Amino acid sequence: MCDIIWCKKEIDGKKCNTVNYLDPYCFWNWEGKVNCAECKTVYYIHMIQGFMYRGPEEVDEKPDTSPLYADKPLEGYTNYLPGIEGRTRPYECLPRDIYLGVADMVKFSARGRPVRGWRPQPPSAGIAGSFGFEWDIQKLTPEVWEEYQQKIAKGEVGEW
Amino acid sequence: MAKDMRETRIEDLPGPKSKEELEEMKMPYEEYCRATFDPGNEHEKPEPLRGVRWMSTTMYIFTPHSVSNLAELGAEVVKVEMPRMGDPMRHTSPFNEAYLYPLHDTRPMTGTGLGFLNANPNEYYITMDYHLDEMKEAFYRMVKMFDGLTECYRPGTFDKWKQSYLYLQELNPRFIYVWGGGFGYGPKVFGGSYDILGQAHAGLASVTGMHDFMGGHCAKHSNWCIDWYSGTQISFGILAAIHWRETTGLGTMIEFSQVQAATRCLGYAAPMYGRFGIVRQRWGNWDTQLCAHGIILCGKSDFPDVSNPQDKHDARYVMVSAFQDEDFKELCAITGMKDLYGKYKVHKDRVDGESQVEIYAALEKWAEDKSRSEVVKVLQDAGLLAEPVMNDREVYESEHFRQRGTIRYLDDPIFGDVLTQSGYSSGLMAKTPRRQNWIWRPVGADNVKIYHELLGYPTSTVQEWYDKSWI
Repeated sequence: MCDIIWCKKEIDGKKCNTVNYLDPYCFWNWEGKVNCAECKTVYYIHMIQGFMYRGPEEVDEKPDTSPLYADKPLEGYTNYLPGIEGRTRPYECLPRDIYLGVADMVKFSARGRPVRGWRPQPPSAGIAGSFGFEWDIQKLTPEVWEEYQQKIAKGEVGEW
Repeated sequence: MAKDMRETRIEDLPGPKSKEELEEMKMPYEEYCRATFDPGNEHEKPEPLRGVRWMSTTMYIFTPHSVSNLAELGAEVVKVEMPRMGDPMRHTSPFNEAYLYPLHDTRPMTGTGLGFLNANPNEYYITMDYHLDEMKEAFYRMVKMFDGLTECYRPGTFDKWKQSYLYLQELNPRFIYVWGGGFGYGPKVFGGSYDILGQAHAGLASVTGMHDFMGGHCAKHSNWCIDWYSGTQISFGILAAIHWRETTGLGTMIEFSQVQAATRCLGYAAPMYGRFGIVRQRWGNWDTQLCAHGIILCGKSDFPDVSNPQDKHDARYVMVSAFQDEDFKELCAITGMKDLYGKYKVHKDRVDGESQVEIYAALEKWAEDKSRSEVVKVLQDAGLLAEPVMNDREVYESEHFRQRGTIRYLDDPIFGDVLTQSGYSSGLMAKTPRRQNWIWRPVGADNVKIYHELLGYPTSTVQEWYDKSWI
């Protein structure tokens, strides 16, 4: 867990005292609203690199998501397991979509020159998988070459 | 010429003949350095290790880096990888996102990740399943033609496969054999290693990070610094072994345990324990020997309006050094900490743990309403040593690094435009600089060059091995 929200909301004269666990798969870099699994109070949090940069601040809005798990340590550790509708989120063993590790295909570097960062590429055409020492971009991938020429014409290719 | 041959007179030496002439010929130092090191024109100068041939049966960063140091200095290094797979490090990219293609003809949808960068530049890439009996002859033929080999398998694995130093020295007595790995022989012989294991087992992680009372935990460095460091240590061993071989004509074996290498970074910790029985503690961004000499947090970011969190929230740290009494006096004067100066005039008093807590807390209190650049400017204007803690982007944009060629774009012959630091970050050499020719090549890209052109096997045999997945 990268952090918790210890809910201190008073309900019927008694503190909620529920510990809501925020897992790094979802909350590592995250800004939004989370509900308390017990009393459903909604908290705004902003977490950066697993550190609670801002919050939790109580807000009167709908939650974006729920904690993964929650328990009540002062009451003999009664708990809410993951995946209870309206209270906790199901544990999918996967990071959020932005961290799913989908290869980022690029054809140009940050300064606008061609880089072989996309697939598939043409095979080697050599014996036993041998490669030569030159990427003839004009011959192998004329469309990228064409795009590169347009970039040059537009002045989008820099030194740095 | 002087009568006594042992006497060296200035007029007999090349160059200026008098002190006046010398003064006249002197260039300003800055100009001299720029002309001498001339970043960007490394390829016009000779390579110091040209003629050295090295085999690399290595993986990940630690042992590959020991060989990449040689390759950047001009050695002809052949990286031997498992057929169709390659070094596992190729498949390690930040967040599995940043790849360059192709990896190999048989795997068109797989690439090599940027995590592989800097560990294997300038090398030739062949494939060989060297534990097969069928490939032993080719392996031994290479051993006879090469100066040495670096491997990283569990201790004894190459011995089991009949290719350890005990076997290879009989084929080539000049052969230098390097084993690099986790623990080496001894009670933990079977333990493998990663950088984090090296940092942990050597005691380094225990003295890294903030102290408990600051809410800190023991920490590893975010990058694999012990892999890079240990690899460089091996390179030194190799150069020494080559020098030794020039004298004796004989090769040697280097056995290099990564956990052992990392203990060297512990500094005074081990001897202090030996003398007093004191176990060193963590002291984070401060220094146990000097105060003030640490990193402080400022209240405002230098880039509050950008979206990148590293820029937006982390551009708030400043390294400050003012441990000499005069400097500390100045620091206290400009930050308004006059009481503290009265209390800690003498370094012995302010280097004490509790004093440091008070001093750094006061410094951060002073910096609370200032941005990083404001703090740096105030301190530098007062003649104190202060620098911002920069992130990757700022390193990339640093004019100092650009002018020295530390970080630059390489037009890789196969993969195109890649930003790299590599050998250019490892010091400048006037006559024989390091250089980067290419970042890496696809798996087995040089099979024909090595097996056919160097070892003399017919191309039909090479193709046959390839079809059988032996190479």
